[in-house]
Amino acid sequence: MSEAAAVEVKNLVKDFKGPFRGKKVRAVKDVSLTIAPGEVYGLIGPNGSGKSTTMKAVLGLVAPTSGTCAIFGKNSTKVDSRSEVGFLPENPYFYKHLTAAETVRFYGRLCGMRGRVLKDRIEEMLELVGLQDARDRRLKGFSKGMLQRIGLAQALVQDPRLVVLDEPTAGVDPTGSREIRDLILTLKNRGITVFLCSHLLEQVQEICDRVGIIHQGVLVNEGRLGDLISLEDKTELILQNASPDLMEQIRTLIEVTHGTDLVSEGRARTTLETLFLKETQAKPSGESKVVKVRKSRKRVSK
Amino acid sequence: MSRSTSTSFFSPRRVLIIAQSTVTQLVRMKIFYFLAPVALLFLGLQFFDAIWFEGPEALMPEQELRMHKNICLGTMMLFTSLFAIVATALLIPGDIEDRTLYTILCKPVPRLDYLVGKLFGVIAVLFIAMLVMDVLLVTTLHFRTEDKILQTTEYMTKIGYPEREIAAGRADIAAHGPTMILQFGVISHFLKACVIAAVALLISTFSTSTLFTIATSVMIWIIGSFQSIARDGLFNDATFGEAPGWADKIVGTLISLIFPDFQLFESISDAAARAEDVLYGDMAQLAGLSAVYIGIYVVLSWFVFSDKEF
Repeated sequence: MSEAAAVEVKNLVKDFKGPFRGKKVRAVKDVSLTIAPGEVYGLIGPNGSGKSTTMKAVLGLVAPTSGTCAIFGKNSTKVDSRSEVGFLPENPYFYKHLTAAETVRFYGRLCGMRGRVLKDRIEEMLELVGLQDARDRRLKGFSKGMLQRIGLAQALVQDPRLVVLDEPTAGVDPTGSREIRDLILTLKNRGITVFLCSHLLEQVQEICDRVGIIHQGVLVNEGRLGDLISLEDKTELILQNASPDLMEQIRTLIEVTHGTDLVSEGRARTTLETLFLKETQAKPSGESKVVKVRKSRKRVSK
Repeated sequence: MSRSTSTSFFSPRRVLIIAQSTVTQLVRMKIFYFLAPVALLFLGLQFFDAIWFEGPEALMPEQELRMHKNICLGTMMLFTSLFAIVATALLIPGDIEDRTLYTILCKPVPRLDYLVGKLFGVIAVLFIAMLVMDVLLVTTLHFRTEDKILQTTEYMTKIGYPEREIAAGRADIAAHGPTMILQFGVISHFLKACVIAAVALLISTFSTSTLFTIATSVMIWIIGSFQSIARDGLFNDATFGEAPGWADKIVGTLISLIFPDFQLFESISDAAARAEDVLYGDMAQLAGLSAVYIGIYVVLSWFVFSDKEF
């Protein structure tokens, strides 16, 4: 028997009633998508496009007007389907009166875990998200990035086969964002299916196997990332330490080849995120750098 | 570690986990601070002695003790009822607004478990608060009763009452002290607060804000406290010389069906304050009625909440 899809959405339609019996708003229009086990799937789209509604329907937080959603073959409207799922909502808020360890413990207990297994799992999760030092601190004083990480810890506490992440890096600084991205990649390597909603297209591009683009409630495009973003009639060549002679030879070769044009040429660029991380992580502190700059300015003025 | 086992329809263990979390939440919200003014009031009553009244206005010791009990029971009723409303109203709308509910309901937690867990959490805190206030009441009343017995014995001995009448006078005063009947009054207020919490739970399942939940629950509390008077008026009153019409009867029936009758709880409490006999059977009936009220409100809450979308 073949393994059931991690997520299967069939002809999902979701209408929301307008206020005071006003006109119904159709948020999702006949969306169908399938996510295979172990896959990282990104659902992207502008605000109000139906991403979150689709995600909520998958999680059973909203009931489909028509169509079905299933997780590992179990109907999403049934509670059973949620034993295999971990969910991290956008800008998560947890009980502020609980500490980090108590939060993971609470969610673990809700999943039926107890005793030594739960105790070990709490430590494992806090280590995974890098919050061991904050284990006994109440969430009231946590930064957004820390809340996001504790959110991931609670989502993963029962070792789910599917993790649903709604804007997991919203409001998180680039360093935290990178850490969360690395965590998602770790999940991927462990064979955990990830269903991700994000506005950060670059991040989706980096980590997703397949992508769906949703616009005005309609899934307008879907497929393997490589297939979707590759331009069939264009080829990119990135060379390291290429000499001017070699470059000249390549240009000449292109010129003499019929039907081939050199569209652009220039130095390969890093991303702003990579630059930011390099600058903020390599230097011992930002202050020393400022001092250096001031010193050099003084020298110039002299 | 993944669990593919089926999730039970209702799990007492999950209810307990949510109830424990609710108790922790309310305790860490420093909700018990409200006990401080109650304690001050109960202790302050010790110093309020009506002995300076003399002549026909003078209060009998029994009356003085009854007044002490009335004030204490009234304070307990007011605080527990308000606490039941505010605590319940803060919890569920708060979880929805903070989106904490998303993360809970995305775990294998049936919505009924969540609702019952929250209600039990509030009831547990109500129980602790009521227990503390009860200990305070019993302690202060004990000392006051002993004081009154001593004063009365001295007074009657001085005047020359026979020993038999002195003993009878002491027994009369002791009957107004901390007795089991008084505990029935305390229990009736606790049960009333539990029913009010269940009402607030129902309202919070369809309410969009904490304020609306509090305002509506207070309104139902007030209507429930006076519904028996309204019902009697609609069913029996012939103030204008006319028998109540069918419309009056329908309104009266609807009121009695929709709103809980809190006057029943007050009757027990009043009887307890007057040191009148309250039968165990009456208490059992009141407990049963409370369970029915709570059961109905929980089931209604579940109907509303099970289809709620977030």
